[in-house]
Amino acid sequence: MTESITIGLARMHLEYGERRDFLPSLVADLEKRGAQVFLEYGYGAGIGFTEADYLKLAPNVQFVSHEDVYQKQIVLVLRCPSSDELNLLQPGACLISMLHFPTRPQRVAQLKSLGIEAISLDSLKDETGRRLIENLRAVAWNGLEVGFQVLHRTYPSPGLESHERAAIQATIVGVGAVGMHAVQAASRYGKEKLWQALAARDVPGVQVTAIDYDLTKREELMKEILSRTDILVDATQRPELSQIVIPNKWIELMPEHAVLVDLSVDPYDCSANPVEVKGIEGIPQGNLDQYVFMPNDKVYDYIPKCVSVEHRRHAVSCYSWPGLHPKQCMALYGAQIRPIFRTIIGRGGVQNINPQGRYFERAIGRALLSRWESVEPAPTTSKPEKEDKG
Amino acid sequence: MSTPKTIGLPRMQNEIGEKRVFLPEFVHHLVGLGAKAYIEEGYGARSGFSFEDYKRAHPNIYMCTREEAFQKDVSLILRAPLPDEFQLVKRGTILISMLHYPTRSLRVATLKNLGIKAISLDSIANDNNIRLVENMKAVAWNGLEAAFDWLESIWPKLVRPDKKPIQVLIIGTGMVGKHAVEAATKMGNIERNNIHIASNGPGAAAVSIGRNVVSNPGTMQALFRKADVLVDATQRRNPSKPVIPNDWLAWLPEHAVVVDLSVDPYKLDANPPIVRGIEGTPQGSLDQYVFPTDDPKWDSLVPKSIPSKHRRTTVTCYSWPGVHPEACMRHYARQLEPLMYHLFTKGYDGISINGDYFERALYRGTLKAWLKGEADAAIAAQKGSE
Repeated sequence: MTESITIGLARMHLEYGERRDFLPSLVADLEKRGAQVFLEYGYGAGIGFTEADYLKLAPNVQFVSHEDVYQKQIVLVLRCPSSDELNLLQPGACLISMLHFPTRPQRVAQLKSLGIEAISLDSLKDETGRRLIENLRAVAWNGLEVGFQVLHRTYPSPGLESHERAAIQATIVGVGAVGMHAVQAASRYGKEKLWQALAARDVPGVQVTAIDYDLTKREELMKEILSRTDILVDATQRPELSQIVIPNKWIELMPEHAVLVDLSVDPYDCSANPVEVKGIEGIPQGNLDQYVFMPNDKVYDYIPKCVSVEHRRHAVSCYSWPGLHPKQCMALYGAQIRPIFRTIIGRGGVQNINPQGRYFERAIGRALLSRWESVEPAPTTSKPEKEDKG
Repeated sequence: MSTPKTIGLPRMQNEIGEKRVFLPEFVHHLVGLGAKAYIEEGYGARSGFSFEDYKRAHPNIYMCTREEAFQKDVSLILRAPLPDEFQLVKRGTILISMLHYPTRSLRVATLKNLGIKAISLDSIANDNNIRLVENMKAVAWNGLEAAFDWLESIWPKLVRPDKKPIQVLIIGTGMVGKHAVEAATKMGNIERNNIHIASNGPGAAAVSIGRNVVSNPGTMQALFRKADVLVDATQRRNPSKPVIPNDWLAWLPEHAVVVDLSVDPYKLDANPPIVRGIEGTPQGSLDQYVFPTDDPKWDSLVPKSIPSKHRRTTVTCYSWPGVHPEACMRHYARQLEPLMYHLFTKGYDGISINGDYFERALYRGTLKAWLKGEADAAIAAQKGSE
C-alpha cells in the first residue's frame, strides 16, 4: 500500500484582523481523497471553528505546531509565508500559496535555492488565461460595502435613505476585472439587501459613471465629474505606479461628504525612482486591522513626505478586501481549490502531474515553480501582497 | 454503462447570417477522444470551411446527410433544432444544444416524449451555479462594437462635434451590463480604442444605472438628453412591461444609437403578452442587426399595437456572439472540451452529480437532472401546502 500524501495547513500570522483559514469542508475533502491532513493549533479559530469542528468532518486530522505544519509534503497557506517561514520547508516539499512569481524574483530564487517545488495560486489559469483561484468580486463588493457604510454617515440631509435625495453619484476609475465588479457593486450600495430595501421604498438609486484609465488624463473632464461625485473608486491597474490617477489637489473639488474607495491598494514608495504613489494621491494604505480613515486620522502623519495629503475626504482602503468576510472568502477559495487538490492527490503527488494532461493538470502545470524557469521575470515591485487581485 | 462512439454535427438552419459551426480543431479533438465524427454535408461552408478542412487525413471523420447527423450516439448543434427537426433525432441519442429548459416547457415535453437524452448547454453550471458554456462577454462587446461602428459613420474617428467624450448610458447591472460597461469605455473594440486614445481622442465614458434609477422619469430625462448611446442590458422581472416607454426615446439626441443586448421578442399572443425592453424597437438577427430610423423593415418588425413613433438608430441581434463566428466557436470549444471528455468517458447514463468538477457540471445540464429538479420542487411545493 502506498503512503498517504501529507498536507499541512498553516495559519497566517499577519495582522490581527487576518482571520482566514480554510473551512472544515475542504479539510474533509482532502482526507476523503486519501491525504493525511495536519492543521496548525488554533486553525480556524479566527472564524469561529474549533478543533472539534474539523474533527467532526475529518476524523483523522491532526493538530500540530506551526513548525510541524511546514514539515509536510505539501503546505497550503493562502498568503505567502515570510522568508523565515519558507526556511522551515523541507527540500522537495511543495508550497501552495499566492506566490506572484512574475513580480517576486527574490522569492522565486529563495524557493529554488531551498529545493522546494511550489504552486502559485495566482498562476493557476485555464487555456484562456482566466484565473481559477480568485475573488475579485469580493475586492469590489467588500470595498464598496464599507464605502457606502461610511457615506451613510457622511451624507448630508435628507440622508442616504431618504427618497427625497438625488441619485447617488458613484465614479469608478478603471474598467478592468475589478472595475467591472465595482460598477455592479456600486449600483447596489455594495450590499444586495440594502439595495433591495431602498429600491422597495422608491429611494433613488446610484448612478455609476465608469471611466477608463486612459480618460483620467483629461483634467477638465475629471474635474467636472469629481465635483459631483459622492463616492470615488480607484479600480485601476496602472502600468506605471508613478502615474497618479487623481492628484491630491483634485480632491478639493469633491463634496465634503465624499468617500474615496481604494480597491487598487498600490503602495507609496518615495525611495523608488520615479516615486511610486497610490492611484488617489494622499489617502492612507489600509489593512484588515484598519480600513476606514477619517480626514483627521493620525495615520496621515505617517504617509511619506513625497506625497501630498493636504486635501482629504473620508477614505477606505484595505489590501486584503476579501478578508473582510473571511468565511465567505474561504468557502469560495475552498471550492475553487478543491479540484486542484483532487488532481494532485489522484496523481499521487505534484511530481506526477502531467503539464500536458487533463484540464486541471494543465492548469497546475502553468503554476509550477519548476516550470517557471524559462519565463523572464518582470521587474521587482514594492507592491504589497494582494492575494486576491488579478 | 455504454459510452458514445459516434457524434453527428448537423448545420444550424437559421437565418443566412448564422455562420457558426464548430471548428475543425474541435472536431479533431472529439476524434481524439475516440469518437467517429459525422459532419453534415456543407457544414461550415458559409464560413469558408470545406469538408477537407475537417477531414485532414483523419480516418474517423465522415460526411453525412442532415438526417444521419441527428441519428448518431451524440448530436451536437449550438442553437436548438427547429421544432420539426426534433423528430429527426433518434430515440436515445444524446442531443447537446442550447435548449433553455426553464423557458421552453413545450420543448422539454418533446424531448421527453421522443426519448432524447438531452444536454442543455445553457444549464451546464458549476457548484456555484456559474454557467460553464456561455459567451456573455461577446453579447456586450459585439453589440457595442456595432453601435460605435454606426457612430463612426457619422462622427469620423469617433470625435463628437464638441470634442467631449462619447456618453454611453447602460441600463442593467447584471452580468451582461458589467461587460457592457467595459466594452463601452473601450468603444466596443480595444484596437480601435487604442488608436483613438493614442491620437488624443476624447474617448468614451459609461454611466450605469439599475432599476431603481430607471423608475424616475425626471432623472431619466436628464440622462437621456446627454446620451449618445443607450444600452438595454436589463433582465426584467416582468417582461410584459417595457423598461423604456417609446415616448422617452424622444429625449435622446437625434444622433443617438440604441443598443439592444436583452433581445426579448414581441410575443403579444402570450399570456401575459411579452414586449421588448425598449418599446417600439425592432428585433434583429444575424441577417440584419442595424436599423436606421428610416429602415422600411421597422414597421413590419414592430407590431402595430406597439407605440413606435419615436425612433433612434437601433442595433439589435438575437445572437450577438454570432457576429464574430470563429471567435465565438473557438470560445465555446474551449469551454466544451473538458466536458466532452467526461461525456465520452462515462456516457450519458454514467454521468453523476457525485463525480468530479466537470462531471457534476455536465450532470446539471442533462434533461434527467432538470426533470428530477422539477419533480423535487413539485413534491416540496405539495408538502408545503399540506
